[in-house]
Amino acid sequence: MPGLILLGASIYATVGTLFGAGFVLRGVERVDPAALGAPWTFRILILPGVIALWPLMAWRWWCAPRTRGAA
Amino acid sequence: MSVGYVSVQWNRHKRIYDACVAGGIVLYLGVFFAAGKALYTGRNAISGEILAMRALATCAFLMLNVILCIGPLARLDRRFLPLLYNRRHLGVATFLVALAHAAIAIGFYHGFGNVNPFVALLTSNTNFTSLSAFPYQTLGLFALLILFLMAATSHDFWLKNLGAPAWKRLHMLVYIAYGLLVMHVALGILQTQRSPWLASLVGVGVVIVATLHLIAGQRERRHDERGSQLSPRAGEEWVDVGAVDDIADQRGSTVTVGAGERIALFRYNGCVSATTNVCAHQGGPLGEGKIIDGCITCPWHGWQYRPADGRSPPPFAEKIHTYRVRVVGRRIQVDPTPLPPGTAVEPARVEEVQSA
Repeated sequence: MPGLILLGASIYATVGTLFGAGFVLRGVERVDPAALGAPWTFRILILPGVIALWPLMAWRWWCAPRTRGAA
Repeated sequence: MSVGYVSVQWNRHKRIYDACVAGGIVLYLGVFFAAGKALYTGRNAISGEILAMRALATCAFLMLNVILCIGPLARLDRRFLPLLYNRRHLGVATFLVALAHAAIAIGFYHGFGNVNPFVALLTSNTNFTSLSAFPYQTLGLFALLILFLMAATSHDFWLKNLGAPAWKRLHMLVYIAYGLLVMHVALGILQTQRSPWLASLVGVGVVIVATLHLIAGQRERRHDERGSQLSPRAGEEWVDVGAVDDIADQRGSTVTVGAGERIALFRYNGCVSATTNVCAHQGGPLGEGKIIDGCITCPWHGWQYRPADGRSPPPFAEKIHTYRVRVVGRRIQVDPTPLPPGTAVEPARVEEVQSA
């Protein structure tokens, strides 16, 4: 059972890390226009939270208007 | 305030605050380590790893106690407000210290076998029904996960994108983390220590945290009870909420009308204005703030709003509810129906009393 919990946690964290890398590079500006042109240090700071809450942020990215952040 | 995100909104106060936190941690760890080496020698000598583990553990627990005391202390005495200003950095520092403790503990106790250290942590002790042999490390692991979640979502980006109520609820998990850590420490002491002084210190910390919360909570309740007696007379929309002279110039005051939300009153430049007491940032008590540069300034993190329309000065875009207000004689009267955020309201003029 602990092995299964750890496997689940590892998969969740791996998917979260891959998603998080894409989110902080591209998605964050679509979800929140205030992040347009934000420095890389800001993107690194929010990355652990994105990894932890990636299903929520994936949903927010999916729902974000397509035109946002295009400027 | 939200225009564009930066990694950390540094200012002089925050730099001093963070330097004090970092210096305090280094000093504490250094003194703990030196004292441990000096006091326990020969057959009683403690290894460097265990000493580091204990130093980091006690440091993190002490920091968490301080964090939990800051809120009620700031409500009871305004002089503690500067500690509240940068509490999030203190929280992140606490997580990092706790993480260092956990890394050494897992490596030291579970890192030398064939089994994954995390699997070993969860499986090496399953005496969940025994108090004297309870796997207290598991409690620490869950507390660390909560502290991580809080540290990871401490940036204003999360406050805005999760929404203030959800963000606040998430960060209230600190009380669950504290409960888990109290049990983690208490059971750890019970199982590994014979000396009563460490357990006593933990008890004193818990009593201080609980007492401060009770006193602050009781004061807030009394304030709201007084307010619940205020309500408009039948057929009238205005409520008398106090005297102009009860509010110092360029300062605020808080009233509760009926069962409604708290209203903040501000006296400035011969005028009185009324807004919600809840800051749009983290729900800080605006009425306990003051007028700086013509703006209501939240005592928690310095967010600002113009008193006449509840809008942050450009380029910021935050808005809060305003209320209609008038002054009759020297009494302030408020219409307790909140207006939409950012609604301009003519400030009530106060005829200043000429001193002889």
